Parts: sequence; structure tokens; C-alpha cells
Amino acid sequence: MKWTLLIAIAIVAFAASVVFGPAAVPLSELARSDIVWNLRAPRAVLAFLVGGSLGVAGAALQALVRNPLADPFLLGLSGGAGLGAVSAIALHLTGPWALPLAAFVGALAALGLVYRLGLIGGAGGALDPRILLLGGVAVGAFAAAITTAIVSLADAAELRNAFLWLWGGLSAASWQAVLLVALYVPVPLLVLVAAARPLDLLALGEEPARYLGADVDVVKRRVYVAASLLTAAAVAVSGVIGFVGLVVPHIARLTWGHRHRALLPAAFLGGGALLAFADTLARTVVAPRELPVGVVTALIGVPVFAFLLRRWSIA
Amino acid sequence: MRRLLFAVLVFAGCRPSDRPAVGPPQRIVSLLPSFTEILFAIGAGDRLVGRTTWCDYPPAARDVPSVGDGMPPNIEAVAARKPDLVVLYNSGPNVTAAQQLERLGIQTVLLELNRLEDLGPATRRLGQLTGLGHAADSLAAAMDSLSARPPPTPTTSIAFVVWDNPPIIIGRGSYLHQLAALAGARNVFDDIAAPSAQVSLETIAARNPQWIAVLADSTETPSFAKRPEWRSVHAVRDGRFLLLPGTLFGRPGPRSAAAVRELRARLSR
Repeated sequence: MKWTLLIAIAIVAFAASVVFGPAAVPLSELARSDIVWNLRAPRAVLAFLVGGSLGVAGAALQALVRNPLADPFLLGLSGGAGLGAVSAIALHLTGPWALPLAAFVGALAALGLVYRLGLIGGAGGALDPRILLLGGVAVGAFAAAITTAIVSLADAAELRNAFLWLWGGLSAASWQAVLLVALYVPVPLLVLVAAARPLDLLALGEEPARYLGADVDVVKRRVYVAASLLTAAAVAVSGVIGFVGLVVPHIARLTWGHRHRALLPAAFLGGGALLAFADTLARTVVAPRELPVGVVTALIGVPVFAFLLRRWSIA
Repeated sequence: MRRLLFAVLVFAGCRPSDRPAVGPPQRIVSLLPSFTEILFAIGAGDRLVGRTTWCDYPPAARDVPSVGDGMPPNIEAVAARKPDLVVLYNSGPNVTAAQQLERLGIQTVLLELNRLEDLGPATRRLGQLTGLGHAADSLAAAMDSLSARPPPTPTTSIAFVVWDNPPIIIGRGSYLHQLAALAGARNVFDDIAAPSAQVSLETIAARNPQWIAVLADSTETPSFAKRPEWRSVHAVRDGRFLLLPGTLFGRPGPRSAAAVRELRARLSR
């Protein structure tokens, strides 16, 4: 029943984001319209893939660092991506794909740095989740400081707009971007789903997980890298879209419990549905203007979350 | 006693800027390219002792020392020029900057300059302040007639793209909208009252402007022209870009009429 409902919500959210948009396209011409086919449809698919990836990455990272506040962007990736994007603009790297590529490289650099820091705490190749969290915040803050320094020192007027890009949005959706993401995300997604059972054990604590036969160190490394790779791809194609990776995993956990085999797919569908729906609202409610999609994900996600928290604490 | 009290009151009422000026200011810092252009146009260019890095016109403006980009103004750099008048654009950070300059005993003036109709009043005010009222009045009159001119019936349509991701365009509230209207082009986003706004790409595609205008100092088509999603916009696919140099088109000023003529010429090409 829960699954039927979730799948129905996901389908409705996806369909709505193809059918509704600021440009009036009659239903009969939906399939033939260039606007729908080349702009709206890829944007809907991309929203779903990005939202789903953020949902799964958030769920996995929350289990890994055993902190309910964990969010895909907490571990320094948004700072790294922002620095990459701003550097690309400051260095006048032109070309249609310069910005997303630079953001991706920046996110990967942050990932590597935080990973390296995380290894310092644990002995013998073990990641220390606390150091991971603190290292992520530190690397993120450092990258953000350099970004701000570049923006205030360089005189390129476009730099101010780099922040707009960073705040997130799906304006750059195209079938090419969809293809790239669709080829890329299944790998980290499968790695995470394969780690579902050890993630369940990890939630009990590292010692118990070890006694129950999980190779804790390997799992932690694998989960951290896979979740971060998902986030890096998301930030490269759509900037930093907040709340999806924080709120959706919690909603899924409140509904499906702590078993990651169910939790991760639910977080994917839920995240995809939330972002597709939020993006539809972002494009339509103030048309012809558009809202930043992160605003909408927060406006929807937070009240739903608060409602569920209340029900949960009463129960 | 009463006389003493009066003197105290007068003294208390006197903020540094209210000091009776001995004559028109002789050391002026301009913190907006438009003001620099206007000051040169009314004959006060030789009194400029400071400008922003953006003040690049007339060419003589480049000989004036720069005090930084002016966003926000660097108070110390401005004060170091020992100005007796600082002209600022009326914005939040500039109000704070003006207060700080006044505290240092430097006279300031904050002027609106967002649209064509602001040009006349700003020019007259600068004329009064500099004692060059006569030259300023005739320039202001020409500016007023430009802003009062009824726009011709549009023969083409245009969208000003400020940024591509997310797409940000120019609305009715902008000076650029006025330029386009006077040049005979309908801004396809004339229903947006704000100077600029974020819109969806599909809205741009659906409104199908004949031209995409971009403020750019290069002659290369912007890199978003090669992005697959932008190719759904006909004008982008057909390469119908207007690359408008920011120094002429990006600011209201004495050359606004020239900008209108230039835009009209480019639209009919």
C-alpha cells in the first residue's frame, strides 16, 4: 500500500511536470511541441534523477555519520563545486560545458580532501565519521571563503551571477545532460543499494556492526565515496538544491523504518517526486517569472517534515 | 543670554555638510559612470579628482585617478582624494557610505539614476551643485525630450538576456526596456514590472523574440548559444544576437540618444 501510494505520487509528479509549464501548450499538441519535447521533458527527467540521487545520498550519509542533520551538501561538496564554478568564470573558461565540468571537478576535489581528512582520525584506513563531518564543514567553509575572495577581487561582472547558478536550478536541462546523468548515477546508486545490509548494521554502531560480520571500514569508504559522487553529479547539473537530501530520507525513514533495502529506493522515488513537483511549482506559480527551486523544496519539504515529526513523536 | 542660546542652537543645527560653501565644489569624486559622463558633458570634467574603475567615458575620464569599483565605495580611498563633493548613486550601501563621508566633513549628494526620466533631474542637480546650471539645463532639456518621446510602433521584438543559467531577463522597469522601445523593438517581457527577473527557458522559447540582446564587450556570441537547451529558442538557433557594448548601452547618460540610434541601426541591419 505504501509502495503503491509512493509510486503513484512519483508518476503524478513526473507527469505534472511535463504537462504544466509557463508556456501554454494544449494537451493535444503535447507530444509534438518543441518546447515540451526539448525543454520541459528533459527538465522533468533531470529533476527526477537529481532529486532521487539527493534523496539516496542523504539517506546513506545520515546512516554513515549517524547524524540526523547530515545532508549531501554538508560534507563540503557545495563549497568545492562553488569554488570550481567561480574559478571557471574568473579564468574565462568559456564553452558550453565549462561551468558544470568545473563544478564537478571542484566537488571531486572537496570529496578527496574530506576523505583524506576522514582517514586521519581512524586507524588503518578506517574513516572516522565525526572527523568526516567536521572535515566536511571545514573544507566547505574554506572553499566558500576562497570563492568569496575571488568574487570580491575579480572585476568580471559575471561573477556575481555565479552565485545564482550555485543556489540551484534546473534551467540547464537538456537531453544531453539527462543522458550523462542517466549513464552516471546508476553506478553509485547500485553501490549504495548493495551496501543496504551493512548500512542497517552500521546504524547499530560500529562495534556491533563489526561483531555482526560487516566489513565496517570498507562499507564506510564505499558509502562515503558513492554518496559523494552522486552529490557531485547533482551539483554539476543543477547547483545546490537544498532540503531534498535532508528531508526526504527522514520522511522515508518515518514511513519505511530503518531497513535500507526499502529505505533507499523509497528515498529515490520520494526525492525524485519532490524535486519534480517543486520544479513544476517553481516554473508555474509566478509565471512568467520563475522561483529558485530550492525555495520551493524548502517550502514544501519543511512543513511536511514538521507534520510527520509531530505525528511520530505523538506515536 | 538669549543670543548665546541662539548661537548654540545654530551651532548644533550645523552638520558639516551644511557649512556655507565658499564657492562651487572644485574637487569632485563621481561614483557612477553615468555621473562622470554628465559632469564631463556639462563642463565639470576638469574638477573631477576621483572616479570608479567603470568610468571609462569620455576618454579623458581615464586620466582621473580611480578610487576602486565603488561597490561599495572605499571610504578611505575616496577621502584620500580630499574631495569637497562626492556624487553617489542612491542605493542602500551608498547611503551608509554617504553618511560616513559626511562625518568626515565631505559634502555628498545621492541621486536616482535608474531610468531615462531620472537623467534630466540628476543633470540639473549636478548643474546647481557645480555652478554650471546653464550648460546643465540645456543638456537636461535634451534628455527630457528623449524620455518624453513617444516610442514608435515596434517593428521587431527583443529579449535582453542578462544571464543564462538561471535565465535572467530585463523587464519593463529597466532602462534597457526604454532604449528598446525608443529604437522600435518590443521587449517580449514587457509584462514583467521589475527591472530584471528570472524566467524559465521555455517562456523565452514560447515568446519567441526576433532578437536576443546581450550586454557584452566582446564580439563573440555568448557561450550559452552552444548549449543544447538554448537552441530551442529560434533567435538563438538562427544566431540573431545583438551584442551591445556595456559602456554605451549599460548606463543612462548623455549618450542615451546615441544608444537609441545605434540600437535602431543594428535592428534594421
